[in-house]
Amino acid sequence: MALAPKLLTGIHGLGKCQMPSAISCLFLGPRFAGYCSSSLQKTAAAPNKALDPQGKSGRDLQSPHRREAALDIPSPDEKPEVSFDKAIRDEIKDHFRRLKDEFVNHWIGPEGRPLHEVMLEQAKVVWQFRGKEDLDKWVVTSDKTIGGRSEVFLKMGKNNQSALLYGNLSSEAPLDGDSGHSGYCAMISRVPRGSFERKKSYDWSQFNTLYLRVRGDGRPWMVNLREDTDIIQKHNQMYSYFMFTRGGPYWQEVKIPFSKFFFSNQGRIRDAQFQLLLDKISSIGLTLADKVDGPFFLEIDFIGVFTDPAHTEEFAYENSPALNPRLFR
Amino acid sequence: MNPLASIIMSSTLISGTLITLISSHWLMAWMGLEMNMFAIIPMIMKNNSPRAIEAAMKYFLIQASASMLLLMAASLNFMYSGQWTLTEMNVSMASLIMLIAMLMKLGMAPFHFWVPEVTQGTVLLTSLIILTWQKLAPLAILFQITPSINVNIILTTAILSILIGGWGGLNQTQLRKIMAYSSIAHMGWMAAVMIYNPTLMLLNLLLYLIFTFSAFTILIKCSSTSTSMLTMTWNSYPLMVSILLIILLSMGGLPPLTGFVPKWLIIYELIKNTNIAMTLTMSILALLNLFFYLRLIYASSLTLFPTSSNLKFKWKINTPNKMYFLPTMVSISLLFLPVSPMILMLS
Repeated sequence: MALAPKLLTGIHGLGKCQMPSAISCLFLGPRFAGYCSSSLQKTAAAPNKALDPQGKSGRDLQSPHRREAALDIPSPDEKPEVSFDKAIRDEIKDHFRRLKDEFVNHWIGPEGRPLHEVMLEQAKVVWQFRGKEDLDKWVVTSDKTIGGRSEVFLKMGKNNQSALLYGNLSSEAPLDGDSGHSGYCAMISRVPRGSFERKKSYDWSQFNTLYLRVRGDGRPWMVNLREDTDIIQKHNQMYSYFMFTRGGPYWQEVKIPFSKFFFSNQGRIRDAQFQLLLDKISSIGLTLADKVDGPFFLEIDFIGVFTDPAHTEEFAYENSPALNPRLFR
Repeated sequence: MNPLASIIMSSTLISGTLITLISSHWLMAWMGLEMNMFAIIPMIMKNNSPRAIEAAMKYFLIQASASMLLLMAASLNFMYSGQWTLTEMNVSMASLIMLIAMLMKLGMAPFHFWVPEVTQGTVLLTSLIILTWQKLAPLAILFQITPSINVNIILTTAILSILIGGWGGLNQTQLRKIMAYSSIAHMGWMAAVMIYNPTLMLLNLLLYLIFTFSAFTILIKCSSTSTSMLTMTWNSYPLMVSILLIILLSMGGLPPLTGFVPKWLIIYELIKNTNIAMTLTMSILALLNLFFYLRLIYASSLTLFPTSSNLKFKWKINTPNKMYFLPTMVSISLLFLPVSPMILMLS
């Protein structure tokens, strides 16, 4: 019985996704969870009502499911196409098509464009929010994963010209006897994938500044950049900087030079600081953890990178022999 | 680095390779390779950034796995034939495993994935050592086990290396990665001729070492690590970019420069052994390498490359980097082709 709405949403999704998400979740488990989760996340991350009180939040999360399920019941004349073999074949064809595109793009130049065009580029929009497919490139997370009470949602803004990240921050620590602190909400970009789900990375070595066009509510956010790596321990390492939003009705242009990003490992800022190398950037994240309980919102128009010719600093921090004698031996 | 530590690392590096070169026992050869690996790990991690540490970890994992395979092959050979001597590799399975181990050490396809990552992750001088000095010991071992190498596998690896070295280097803007892919391709040429005429492999190695050493010396002097930095060096070091032009054209194998000698002799040797299809494929794939060398030459010396900034020149800061033997290396890169009849006579 519980599977019925899942099956119906899966059938609805067959037209969009390459395979029915319900069937894939049943049979293939975690392997294709990425395909399941995006469609499920969209329904969970974009409820119609915003900023619900905590008591009603559970019910409100369920009601969009039920409402969408009611809309998705097909008429008796339509026969939904549910074919596992066809879905697998389409999936394999898609991966080989992506592989062929990679070869062709490699012949043309980096990122599929001629090399001189890439080398002379001064500004590039990396993420923009103009449609639902742009939201699929992001994941929202909060301390709910560790038992906290913060909520975060991501939906398209007015006229599909921006994305609205909103929710409720709660610094109430989870009652698990282990955590003393809590209260964070984050929006992290998905790692770009190539053929056969291989990780790709962004090469921003031509640029020196990160640009965000945002409209916030005055709260301080943290911008985090992660590098692409094959080593598991390096997944805890990231480079961060602050983004202070104004609360006004005007759009805010935030420019953060890459030289200002400081290094942190496992959530702690390290004494030994290293420059952010821009040739293998994996993902960007926006985190809110300012210990102030209450609702928040951040409207994002686009995120890009550009070269600021006036900015010549290579690295803003230096290592000190007092803190790190090992580096100076 | 502390001067004492630096001296210890350098001497261990040199002695490790020399031990492998002079040894006839498999255990001594393995010991030399291990000394080599342990000495270069701290040199890769010298600047302590997360990227350098990742490069060192990747290098260690690959080289340690290859050393384990080498020991396994040597033990297998001893088990079946009772021989510990390098040249007495009579067991086919042991020879195959040994070949795979050496291919991993050299960074040849399909075990090439670590080469660009490790070369990019460290400073220019250490990249130079990885791409030149670290090739000597494994090639020496391959030279000695040449009679027992599986022909099909070595030729397949050679073709794959030339293809991947050319294809992978096409879109790179980072100079260290370009040199890494160039190294993969050159290793492919050496592997192709190894079974027919090992002496030619040594000649190719010697010339490859000279070219790579010269190219890296220029890059170290100009402190350039990317193509866009190289486009600005014409103003600070005009002679350097002219020399870089010669060296890159030589690496591409264009006559009348020295780099034509190994390619010509290898093609001649392969055709003598009626391996014409492979020769044709290798010659065509060498054009990919020549393409990205030419692109570097265009960017640095032949054209005033367009830049995104208004600044057309870079302030020249006198770096203390010395260019050891660069004039000698450049003379050899430029003028060695007329000496080729002597080489033919000697081989």
